[in-house]
Order: sequence, then C-alpha cells, then structure tokens
Amino acid sequence: MFASSQAEIAQLFSFYNLLLLLEGFAATLVLSALGCFAGFLAGFVVAIVRVTHSRAMAPLRALAFAYCFLFRRIPFLVTLMLVFFASQSSKANLSTFAVASLSVCLIASAYLGEIIRSGLESVHGNQWEAAQTMNFSTFETLRFVIVPQAWRVVVPPTFGFFVMFIKDTALASQIGVMELTSAGKVLTNKGFSSWLVYGTVLALYFVMSYPLSRLGKRLEKKLAATRNR
Amino acid sequence: MTLHFEPILQQWPYLLGGAWLSLQIAVLAFAFGMVIGLVCASVLRYGPVFLRRAVTAYVIFATNTPQLVQIFFLFFALPEIGVTLSPFTAVLIGATFNAGAYLCEIQRAGFNSVRLMEVEAAEVLGFSTMQIVRHVILPHVLKVMFPPLSNQFIVMTLGTSMASIFGVEELTGRTYNLSSQTYLSVEAFSVAAVLYIAITLIATFALAIVGRYVCRAKIKVL
Repeated sequence: MFASSQAEIAQLFSFYNLLLLLEGFAATLVLSALGCFAGFLAGFVVAIVRVTHSRAMAPLRALAFAYCFLFRRIPFLVTLMLVFFASQSSKANLSTFAVASLSVCLIASAYLGEIIRSGLESVHGNQWEAAQTMNFSTFETLRFVIVPQAWRVVVPPTFGFFVMFIKDTALASQIGVMELTSAGKVLTNKGFSSWLVYGTVLALYFVMSYPLSRLGKRLEKKLAATRNR
Repeated sequence: MTLHFEPILQQWPYLLGGAWLSLQIAVLAFAFGMVIGLVCASVLRYGPVFLRRAVTAYVIFATNTPQLVQIFFLFFALPEIGVTLSPFTAVLIGATFNAGAYLCEIQRAGFNSVRLMEVEAAEVLGFSTMQIVRHVILPHVLKVMFPPLSNQFIVMTLGTSMASIFGVEELTGRTYNLSSQTYLSVEAFSVAAVLYIAITLIATFALAIVGRYVCRAKIKVL
C-alpha cells in the first residue's frame, strides 16, 4: 500500500492525521483532568462524610461507605457500559463524551474518597478532640487542623491514581469517544501499520503520564521526609 | 423504565463460567507476573548496571502506558511480523507484561524493607544463609508485601474485563453476548457488576485469611 516505510511515516504524520491524534490527545487529557478534579472534589466530600461520628450522619455515612466499597470493585469497562446503556434507556440523550465523563467521575470519586479518607484518618484522634476543646467548629477543625496534616499522606497515592486514571480512560474508546486510543483505531483502519500507529499512541500516553508519575515520586520523597518524625 | 432481570438470571451458569475464566486469566497473569517481578526486583538489587537500566525502563514504560493499548499493540502489530496470537494469549501476555512491572515495584519495596541489622544479628547468632532467609528475611518481607500484593491481584481481576474487547468470552464478554441477545443491556451489566463485586469480595476474604495465617499480615477487609 505504501511505497516504503519512510513514505508511510510521512503519510502518517500528515497534517490531518496529526490533527486527529492531537484531538485524541486533548480529549484524553480533558477526560482525565475532569475525572481527577471532579473526582477529587466529590471524593473529598465522601471522605469527610465517612470520618464524621455523629449519629445523624449515620445513613449518609453508610451510603458513602457502600459507594466507595462497591465502585472500587466494578471494572471501569462495566461501569462505562452501565452508564452508557442506562443513559440510553432512560432517554437522557447524553453524548458519548458526557457518558464517559460521568463514569470517570463516578469511579474517580470512589477511589479518591478512599484515598482521602485514609489520609484524614491518619491524623491522630487527639487532634480532633483538642480542636473541639478549643471550640473549633467541624469546618474549622478540618480547615486548620486535619487537612494540613492529612494532605501529606493523601498526595502521593493521589498522583499514583491520576496516572492510573489517564490509562483507564483508554477504555472510553469502547463507547466511541474520540480519544487517543480511538484515534489510533481510526488510523489503523485507514491502512497504516499497527506498529507505527500504536507505537505513536503508546508514546503519546507515555508523554502524558510520565511527568505526572515523576512529580508524584518527587513529592512522595519530599513529603515522606517531613512525615517520618 | 422497567427492569427485567429474569432472562439474564436464567443464564447465570453461563455468566459464572465467564467469571471463572476471568479469575483464571487474573491468576495466571498474577503468577507469571510474580516470576517476572521477582527476577526484575532481584536484578534491580543485585544485577549489573545495564540490566538495572533495562529493568527500570521496562517498569517505567509498562506502568505509564495503558494496558489496553499495549494489548492492541500485541494483537494487531505482531501479526505484521508473522506472530499471530490468539485473543486469550494476547490478553494474557499483555496482562502479564503489565503485572510484571507493578509486582516488580512491590517486591523491590519489600526487599528494601529488610533491615540489615536483623540479618547481621542472625549472622551473629550463627544462622546459616538458608536459615536467615527462612526465619528472618521471608517472614518480614511477606508481612510487608502481602497487602499490596493482594491489592494488585484485585486490581488485575478487574483489569481482565478488557479481555472482552479482544473477543475473549470472560465475564464482560459474555455479558456483551447476553445483552445483544436479549437487548436487556442495563440488566445484563448490573448483574455483571454484582458478579464482579462478589468475585473480588471472595478473593479479598480468601487472601485476608491466607495473609493472616501464612504471612502474619493484618488486612482490614471492611
């Protein structure tokens, strides 16, 4: 089909193919960033609900626990399909990208809820009591006492999760979201060699997640030094 | 929207068979990955510089690229040089390749957690090398490594669902089949989700028991 492999490479990196790959790259990036940010916020709320002790919060606490517990045990692909078909049969008429973002947020908040909860619980219980004695409200306790101590524990696994997450979004290609993996599929269907296309796609994923995992490692080292008293 | 679970639930032996296949993939990939990880972790600790660099490159590459695209690569690119893999083999190799890197990291951390002083103390007490490994190093390493290892196994069990994309009829693949036969997609995938929760829960409990009695590791299940 192509005269030589050089001609094929030149063809593959023509303007429109590059545009396709870049669009895919951007979609993957947006999808994972959205999942990370929305997931972090929702996960934070879930985690805070889970560390409360009052009796009034018991049903909510059980709900948050069940949410974290269950959604971490369902494969991302199955969650994706579940949201996809549920949105179809309920006639919500969501775009595939919206479906992907929704399931991404669902999964991310469950995982991050667990990570943040373990961070919050790593702060000794005496700190809560001390803050209560000094007449801090719950919000003030969290804001000034718990979170400043907890985030050192939370940050390293969070970065690990972000990297895992960028990789998980590859599954969104299964419902037809045009992200990086789908762009790769389209290009192989155009007749380019799979070596070249999937090699490029792998390299692009690597470019996306490697800096993040490096940053995570560095932060882990930096924070561990201050954490081990 | 009404849900009809009966047609799906009638097929539960079919789905359970799929779950069994999922577990098989996970266990096989985990076992092979353990071996690769052990070799790589030993190389990282005792090997020459160039081998260490190669292992580090492998770990960085495998942990920073999606397993799905790796399997795509194996499945679609290797036939161009004449290596045709069956879907099952491709998925297994991809999962093993991925697991090897993660398990290498876990085992490296486990090796590093051995305290030199304990080994020295054992030497002073006249332990032979085998005795040191058996009574000092292994109990310590196993206790440290067990929780992340069991966690990795659960993550891998969930990861096997992507085998369905390549046509392996494991739990997700069979769920796809059922949903296209019956058009009850939401129901089919909810049943699959429940089955996945059940499998991973059973695996977690089993691993926690093994961990407690064999490795003296304390694992909180709930």
